[in-house]
Amino acid sequence: MTDFAGLLGALRDSGVDFIVVGGFAGTLHGSAVPTRDLDIVYARDPANIDRLVAALVPHAPYLRGAPPGLPFRWDRDTVVNGLNFTLTTRLGAIDLLGEIAGGGDYRSLLPHSERFTIFGGPCLCLGLRKLIGTKRAAGRPKDLQALADLETLLEECER
Amino acid sequence: MTDVDPVVEAFKRDVDRTLLRENLKLTPEERVLELMALLRAAEEFQRAGVEARERS
Repeated sequence: MTDFAGLLGALRDSGVDFIVVGGFAGTLHGSAVPTRDLDIVYARDPANIDRLVAALVPHAPYLRGAPPGLPFRWDRDTVVNGLNFTLTTRLGAIDLLGEIAGGGDYRSLLPHSERFTIFGGPCLCLGLRKLIGTKRAAGRPKDLQALADLETLLEECER
Repeated sequence: MTDVDPVVEAFKRDVDRTLLRENLKLTPEERVLELMALLRAAEEFQRAGVEARERS
């Protein structure tokens, strides 16, 4: 099971600039749809990439769903040369996204983010309206039910 | 949100608003703790199911 508190703590303790998106962002807002992984959009500046790498090194990140033994190296070059990473770690599943459909990158998402206090520290989370927008933009059939949940949640928040 | 997706609208009819209202009474941290308790329970059910199949 994903240790959400542990993952958030690891990122925060290393000073990583990130915004929580996806299903876990829905949970923070009050969605009833469960999620098993933590999705974040991380800032792509070199210093933040170094912090992101350092944050996850102790937790043995590896490509989720890939056969064991692949020559995957979790280091600065890997992150610089890639963009989005679907990983498993000792703390559970985490998706690292350089940008997302309908939202763009970390800098573009910042004005649409909200600050939550969770597990003893601050955590930036994509706002509910923008979260709905990104789910719509992704256009994935698997998101339709989650989208219905989030849109109903927004209605409930605005009642 | 001005554009309406008929599929999403159809799904919305089945969303349990009482669950959402209960969640909205919680703090974000409490919501996460509830999620983790749910995932733990699901894993326990899965483990018990595997054990039951192995015994039969």
